[in-house]
Amino acid sequence: MGRSRTIVDVIASNVDRLRRRERDVFSAAQGRIPATVYALSDVTLDVAEGTGLGIIGANGAGKTTLLKLISRVTWPTSGRVQVAGRVVSLIELGAGFHPELTGRENVYLGAGLFGLTRRDIDRRFDEIVQFAEVEQLIDTPMKRYSSGLYARLGFSVAIHSNPDIVLVDEVLSVGDAAFRRRALESLRQLIALGKTVLFISHDLWNVRRLCDWMVWLDRGQVRASGAAVEVSDRYLEEVDRATAGRQAALPGRRAGTGEIRFSSIDVLDGGGRPADRVAEGGTLVVRAGYDTASRLPAPVFQVAIVDVETGVTVASATSSAADGPPVIDASGAVDCIFESLPLRPRQYALRLTIADARQLASYDVVAAGPRFTVVPAAGVQPVDAGDGLVGLPYRFEHRLRVLS
Amino acid sequence: MAIAAPRTLTDRAEPIDAAAYFELLMNFTRREVRGRYSQSLFGFSWAVAQPLATMAVFTLVFSRLANISADGAPYPIFAYAGLAPWFFFLNSVNSGTMSLVQYRNIVTKTCFPREIIPLSQVCSRLLDFGAAAALFAVLMAYYGVRLTPWVLMAPPLFALLVAFTVAVTLMTSAANVFYRDVSPVVQIALQLWLYLTPIAYPMARVPARWKVWIAANPLSGIVEAGRAAVVYGRAPDWDLLACSATLTGAALVAAFLVFKRVDRYFADVI
Repeated sequence: MGRSRTIVDVIASNVDRLRRRERDVFSAAQGRIPATVYALSDVTLDVAEGTGLGIIGANGAGKTTLLKLISRVTWPTSGRVQVAGRVVSLIELGAGFHPELTGRENVYLGAGLFGLTRRDIDRRFDEIVQFAEVEQLIDTPMKRYSSGLYARLGFSVAIHSNPDIVLVDEVLSVGDAAFRRRALESLRQLIALGKTVLFISHDLWNVRRLCDWMVWLDRGQVRASGAAVEVSDRYLEEVDRATAGRQAALPGRRAGTGEIRFSSIDVLDGGGRPADRVAEGGTLVVRAGYDTASRLPAPVFQVAIVDVETGVTVASATSSAADGPPVIDASGAVDCIFESLPLRPRQYALRLTIADARQLASYDVVAAGPRFTVVPAAGVQPVDAGDGLVGLPYRFEHRLRVLS
Repeated sequence: MAIAAPRTLTDRAEPIDAAAYFELLMNFTRREVRGRYSQSLFGFSWAVAQPLATMAVFTLVFSRLANISADGAPYPIFAYAGLAPWFFFLNSVNSGTMSLVQYRNIVTKTCFPREIIPLSQVCSRLLDFGAAAALFAVLMAYYGVRLTPWVLMAPPLFALLVAFTVAVTLMTSAANVFYRDVSPVVQIALQLWLYLTPIAYPMARVPARWKVWIAANPLSGIVEAGRAAVVYGRAPDWDLLACSATLTGAALVAAFLVFKRVDRYFADVI
């Protein structure tokens, strides 16, 4: 197989030879590295109509190349890609927009790139603008838009251009939290309508909320594919293994007056073992080591749990004077224990603070502390894993109205 | 929701229908024109400044100093009749060559018929040509040049000019994707090309042994015939014109075939 050599290839390879570029690269550490790198090789995938397929993997694994092959932006060196239906690719939002033109004109331009005619766009125009929430700016040149608004309009145009297959490449990270939510919701609706969505994101939880199926690409090859829950668990396990034992360094420059400083922050599970994954309903221990050279009367420790995606503080815990010694004048460690953690499966970050006894001044603030992931408890299939940050105990009671 | 027709798996890019294709071409053209003339005080008048200024220089150098005669017609009219199509060709090829690289962002991220980008560059110059042609009408009236029925030759000749311009632009834009050296080469070539085309001088002044070389340039036949039809109001040199038309047709077909063969590599190498 392989594509036939065109005149361009012949010229290119000769020029490369002149520039002595055809040779393989020799690296002291790894020996011979072939000069040709295949972004993808030996990849076989079948995606059924109406599926949400998540594509995960490290940077450079070939995720974007896969989408480019499907959208016919680029063509495989060998092998074939078969597609049924209209593809709309969101490899970059608003790629077809021109900054000098107004939002209105760019809607026509961008939707035209996805194959829509003027009449189609006329019909959907209001919907597009409403979804992006740029009604006020629609007749302003897009060079005056913020990057978030630019991306919003780009996204809105794409999903309203009647696609059968939508390719999304980590583009939701630009919008604000509310828009991200709406965007995910609209993608989910597309899947419900029987459209196919291929979704690349490094936010595993978003992928899991949107997609039932997942492919894990690793250096151009399929490492695993199948049900989203299983593939993402395997992926997380591997990431854990790769980062295990690598102590997350605390940032060097931090806010606070500095009389007392955190020396370490560790996330432990109920058994006291370091863990960056905690089961829903399990125990989470945050162990903070500290160091001081002064005598401080009963400093207050605060631990806040922040949802990584939205930045919302989900919960916080504050130590009281009774929790520790009346005066601290040396190094030590404090544990903050959350039992039966009610958090939903998502990624969270810790924010830690040490304040004086009256909480007027902060001695030390770790704004973006270590992260941890809440995973579904073993054996429990999440019913609506998608929504909410916190799982509350609840029950439904149902009564029929009694006719008098 | 309308019920979608059953879809079949294909190996090719989904073709877009003619209406959407035209729409896309118009959108790119509009984008180009708007981009070029936005935040400019004089806007469109720049489109006529170029041939007008060159006409003045040519009149001074060739007519007054070198004493080239225009075969009975006023020399400024004679020069302008060649310069208007020439600048259409020059500007189209110049901006067309860089166009695919300039639109790299779209080329590497969305799938659409790639030839639309260089085509839109040519289309956007149609407007400039329209402005230049309007000024030409004014000049004709000023110099009192009479039109004859031969002026009906102008539209088909213009179509020939557009066809040749498209052929060259497709070639240079595609080549420039692979090697950026193409753009400077094209610019130098265009400077020489102006003088290898009977624009400042009539074909009649070309020595017989060079004639075949000038005739190998399809623009020669087009410019000469255009001038015959509009300025002199007489029949064109049919042999020369046939030669131009044949070369143009061949160039257009070849350019289009080559372009469609290589366009799938654009996103990789651009």
